[in-house]
This record gives sequence, C-alpha cells and structure tokens, in this order.
Amino acid sequence: MITLKNVTKTYKRGQDDEVVALRDVSLEVAKGEFVFVVGPSGSGKSTFMKLLTREQAPDGGDIWVAGKNLAKLRPWKVPALRREIGYVYQDFKLLPNKTVEENIAFALEVIGKGRREIDARVPEVLELVGIEEKKRALPHELSGGQQQRVSVARAFVNNPRILLCDEPTGNLDPTTSVGIMKLLDRINRTGATVVMATHDQHIVDSMRRRVVELEDGVVVRDQTRGVYGYAG
Amino acid sequence: MSARWVYVLQESIRGLSRNLLMTVAVVLSVTVSLTLLGASLLLSEQVDLATDDWTGKVEVSIFLCDDTTACAPITDEQRDQLRRDLEDQPVVAEVFFESKQDAYERFQELFRDQPTLVESVDPDTLPASFRVRLENPALFGVIAEQFAAYPGVEEIVDQREILNQFLRFTNVIRNAALIVAAIQLIAAGVLIANTIRVAAFARREQTSIMKLVGASNWYIRLPFVLEGVFAGLLGALLSWGLLYASVPRVAGQLRREIELMPFIDAEHVLLIGPWLLLAGVGIAALSSVVALRRFLDV
Repeated sequence: MITLKNVTKTYKRGQDDEVVALRDVSLEVAKGEFVFVVGPSGSGKSTFMKLLTREQAPDGGDIWVAGKNLAKLRPWKVPALRREIGYVYQDFKLLPNKTVEENIAFALEVIGKGRREIDARVPEVLELVGIEEKKRALPHELSGGQQQRVSVARAFVNNPRILLCDEPTGNLDPTTSVGIMKLLDRINRTGATVVMATHDQHIVDSMRRRVVELEDGVVVRDQTRGVYGYAG
Repeated sequence: MSARWVYVLQESIRGLSRNLLMTVAVVLSVTVSLTLLGASLLLSEQVDLATDDWTGKVEVSIFLCDDTTACAPITDEQRDQLRRDLEDQPVVAEVFFESKQDAYERFQELFRDQPTLVESVDPDTLPASFRVRLENPALFGVIAEQFAAYPGVEEIVDQREILNQFLRFTNVIRNAALIVAAIQLIAAGVLIANTIRVAAFARREQTSIMKLVGASNWYIRLPFVLEGVFAGLLGALLSWGLLYASVPRVAGQLRREIELMPFIDAEHVLLIGPWLLLAGVGIAALSSVVALRRFLDV
C-alpha cells in the first residue's frame, strides 16, 4: 500500500546550511497493516507523513502510495491521491464555526459528493466513533478526546484506504488516548492501512504492532510486533 | 442547483460581505477605471463618426479677390477661365461657386444663434469662392500649386488641415483618458489581488483542511476568484450605467448646439457595454488567479 525506496529529503536553512530530514529511507507497508512510526522530535516523522500526502516532494528516491508513483503524479492528480488517505492531526483541526456533523460532512461536500450520500454516510461514522449524541455540538463544547473522535470520523468518512495519524494522542490524557487507540484499531480491522507517528511509549508497548523507529532521518529499527524502546 | 455550486456561491458571497468596506473600495475603483475606459472608447467613436461625416464633405476653398482685398478684384472673364480649368483638372470631382450673397446667407444660417456675430457682417464682407471637392482629399497640393498664381485668386484653403488639427486635439484627449484608465485599471487589479489575498488568509484553516481531504484546486480557488469577479462585474455594470445615464444627455445637448456634426447616441453606449464587462471581469479574474497562485499551491 505504501512503498518508499531510497527516499532522501533535505531542507535548506540559509544558503549553505542543509538539514537532512530523511536519509535513504526504504520501507514497505502492506495493505491492512498497522504501523507505528516512532522516534524523538526532529527524527523525520513529520517529514515522512508529509511526503506520503504529497505536501512535500522528496529530493531523491521513489514513493508509491495506493498504487500511485508520487514522483510522476501531476499536481492536478494530487487531490485524487488525498481522497485515498485520511489524515488525523494532533491538534484536531476542526472548523470552529461548524458543528460536529457539519465538520464531518464538509470533508465530503468539498470533494463534490451528493447530498444523499453525505446524509447516509455521516451518521454511520458518527456511530463508528461513538459521538452521535454530540452531533449538533460545536468543537469548543467538546472535550479533547471527543474532538479527536470527530477528527477521526472526518478522516474516515470517505472510506480511505490509508489512515495517517500524526501524534493523534499527543494532546490527550492516557485514558482518553486508549479510547482513541481502540477506535483506530477498529478502523484498521475494517481493512484500512493505519500509519501512526507517535511519542507515546505506553500506547506503542500495549498495542504490540509493527514499529518503525527513525533517528536522524534513518530507519534504525523495524519490528513486526515491537515496543517503543529496545526493551524486547 | 447541486451542493457544490451552492457551496461555491455561498462562500464567495460570504467573502464579499465579510469584508464589506474592501468590497466597496474594489467596486468603486473598478467603476472609476471602466468609466474612464468607456469614455475614451466613446470619444474614439465620436471622432470616427465625425471624421467619416466630414471626409465626404471636405473641400478646398479658393477665395476670390474683390473690392475689400489687397489684390485686384477678379473679372468675370478670369472667373470663368478659373472655373473651366478647375473642371478640366482630373483630381477635381465637383466645383461649386459660392457668391458673396451665398456666403452671407450660409454665415447667417450657421450662426443664427449668435445675433451679434451675424450683425457684425454685411453681405459685402465675406469673399466669393469656388468650393472644390476632390476625388482624393490628399491631393490638395496639386490644386494649390496650379491655381495659387491665377489672377484674382486671393487664397486657397485646405479644410482638411482644420480637420487634422481637430483630430490631433481629440487624439491627445483620448490617449490621456486611455492612459489614466489603464493606470486606474492596474490599481483596481492590485486592490482586487490584495483583497483576495486577505480573504484567502482569513480562511486558511478551512483551505488547508480542504486540501488534505482532497478537494480539487478549482474547488478551493473558485470561491475566491468568483469573489473578485463579482466585484469586477458590479463595477463594470455601475460604470456602464453611469455612461448610459450621462453620455446620451451630453451628446443630446451638443447636438442641439452644433448642428454640423453627427453625435453618438445611447446605442453606442449600449454597444460598448460588453467590452466594459469583459474588461471588468477579466481584470478581476486575472488578479484573483495571480493572487492565489502561490498562496494556495499544493
């Protein structure tokens, strides 16, 4: 579902000052996998995620996502790529003046889905993430965990094949985080590939899923049923 | 109307009303620039109209000597000779003789609104003349050369020269109006670009979410572009209305005072409308697209 071959990405900082974010990274994620991408801040996790949605382009190497070669992807085809990917942010990124329901429907409206489809699909995901009773609330009336559920619902409403989660539990307390992880696990079981960048040792250790560790832009570990550190 | 069009229209109208003062500034500046543009177009048409009308009438006047001039009065014989030679000259299309009495009557007719001017002239003041229409008005030189030295000819005047002076004058006015209109139009374009950029910045959160859920570029940009286009369209309509309300009135006034000349009318103003709309919408769309080019790139 996701393949990286010898991917390198550097950022220019000033004239001769370059920062290497990813160095010769090769990686394969199969359909339906659940992968944690771990590593300290600045290890290249964010860059990795941004390359997958084509927010940024690599300096070298090839990337395939959902069967598309990103290097050959024309700019006007980028939206089609992103419709295959759901994205969950650490800070939720909900529109403050829209209700829960409207926030989720928005993701379908702006890709041109019809009213009938939207009206059918939104209640489904509301039920999936378990916030039907809050559907008319505005984001600021919700707790962090509830807001993150809305954000997951919005990411999943279009039935994407891939769910990218960038520190989804970063702003949540441990108990709430567990709830979100259960939700992501449930989505993973429907067949979606989930890639989650995280710092959260507790969660990684308890899930026992594949762990890819980045350090200074290099993959230093790739374990099928791993933990956060080198414990096992 | 499908949901996506409802969204696009709602967003652009919301954008316009959210920033009402800016919208007013944009609409007014488009109105001013397009009114100037329209006025200079209409002036051009007016000049063309007048020129077409005059070119057919332009004549060479050969004024004849009489008791009041320095040269000796022309004799009947000399006059007949002059007429025959004029008629034999191939570049001449037509020859009329205008006697002193004819000249006096025409003068009275021409200036009947100005009695003091009419009173200052008596039938003897104005010279008799041959009025010569040429096959090609540019061949004035041939006539001037051949007939200037004829006895009894006081002066040969090319009316085209008078017309040319007038045309040079109107061209200067028209070009000045065009330049001011162009500068104004650029200013309007910059103002629109800035307004659109402010609008895009205000909605950057929404825009970034739209990008990440895979909304197409035109879907993200169209509300902003339409916002500019609406303002441009409104400005164009206003300037059209202004011209339609004022120009026929002014032309009508002039028509009553100057009867020699055809004037443009309401129909001409109606016909430049599409050009004004095209210019208004065009400049608005162009500056919106340019403004968004870098801001909303994937």
